[in-house]
Amino acid sequence: MKKVAITLFLLVSFSTFAQKYYTKTGNTQFKASVQAFEPVEATNNSTTAIININSGEIASLLFVKAFNFRVALMQEHFNENYMDSGTFPKATFKGLISDFDFSEISSTEKKLLLKGILTVRGVEKKIETLATFSKNEDKLLMEASFGVQPEDFNIKIPKIVSDKIAGTINISLAYEFIEKK
Amino acid sequence: MYYSINNFIMFKKDLLILCAFLFSISSLFAQDDLLDELNENTQDSSYEMPAFKAMKIGNLQSTKMADQGDFYLIVSHRFGPLKDGFDTFLGLDEASTKIQLLYSFWEGVQFSISRESYNRTLAASAKIRLARQSKDFPVNLVTYATVNRNTLIDETIFPDLKSSDRQSYATQLLVSRRFSDKFSFQLAPTYIRENLQNLNVVPEEKFNQFALGFGGRYKLSKRISFNAEYVYNMSRAKSSPFDNSYAFGLDIETGGHVFQLLFTNSQSSNEPGFMSSAEGDMVFGFNVVRVF
Repeated sequence: MKKVAITLFLLVSFSTFAQKYYTKTGNTQFKASVQAFEPVEATNNSTTAIININSGEIASLLFVKAFNFRVALMQEHFNENYMDSGTFPKATFKGLISDFDFSEISSTEKKLLLKGILTVRGVEKKIETLATFSKNEDKLLMEASFGVQPEDFNIKIPKIVSDKIAGTINISLAYEFIEKK
Repeated sequence: MYYSINNFIMFKKDLLILCAFLFSISSLFAQDDLLDELNENTQDSSYEMPAFKAMKIGNLQSTKMADQGDFYLIVSHRFGPLKDGFDTFLGLDEASTKIQLLYSFWEGVQFSISRESYNRTLAASAKIRLARQSKDFPVNLVTYATVNRNTLIDETIFPDLKSSDRQSYATQLLVSRRFSDKFSFQLAPTYIRENLQNLNVVPEEKFNQFALGFGGRYKLSKRISFNAEYVYNMSRAKSSPFDNSYAFGLDIETGGHVFQLLFTNSQSSNEPGFMSSAEGDMVFGFNVVRVF
């Protein structure tokens, strides 16, 4: 009876006090450049992301308006004409890292399968990619990249600029997680 | 005895089920938790997008500014009165042209120089941003100041003309708010100083004038908006031949260009010009804004 109570207590406490790692300054980049034309790329340095290191679950969130372009006018057009950032301010990702075992991650890079749902402009898309994990002192580092198409999120590219925007947009991310206490 | 052991096993089973149930609930809870946790704890700290597409609503300056390092060429035309009809091809025979160069050396500061056919006016202006609309601040605040020099007035007609008489000035506070993605509105209290008062034209001297401009835009589609503005000049004499100025038209944006097609009652598109001496007849005009 005591054992059962203890197990119960342990299980419940274990799952509610799951250990989490998080970041508020995650770096998310995208590149949609076409050679010989003005580069179409931007960086977001305020992506928030969180990992449950017991289950390998991961979630991240960014504000589309916080993508910084080299050309400010391009940033304005990105938000107003393509991303509708007023209506859809956030882009989110929610997924699971397969076979994630925190104790097995060391300073040498380890590749694991990352699967999840990316939501942009309110449209969901399944993403599957290999993500690289490593540890640096008390930090958990994660890097990944994958490709998406504007059509995946109902983003319409007018004909006159379609030559200047790549058909596949490469998204890469580099997050440095610290333990959430 | 048997009964009680059995009872105890049953009880244990129940506990296990309860325990498994609790565990699944808590892990389920943890699953949904992650994204919700982020949603709760993050705030959008970036600025609101600009209230207007171009640096002008029509004639009136808007709170929109060139970004640091951006160079703009703006070509504006104002044609003759539409009511002249076919004689002047709806005014198209009489064009007043303004060519303006605009640059931003620092973020939030913009300079421009221009030359307008109307009164052969040379102008220089500066625009400085004081605040931007964001979650923490409700409006965009921008100050604007311009110096104009009329190089047309002939000294043979005005023998007493001093050099300073050619100058006029305007300074404005521009307050705008992007109420929604579609609708923006702006107020522009303005002070105008005109050094030359031609008493053959105006009934009394009004060197210093105060005006209140207001205007807005409504986006018809992502790249097209309807703009309108009105300027009420509070200092104008009742019998003055000039009118309060208005402008309305469309902004059409295509990549690095904004085309502003408009109707207005003023020949000049410089602030002291259209705010103090709009002639009143409706003319067609356009501004072409090109960024480099």
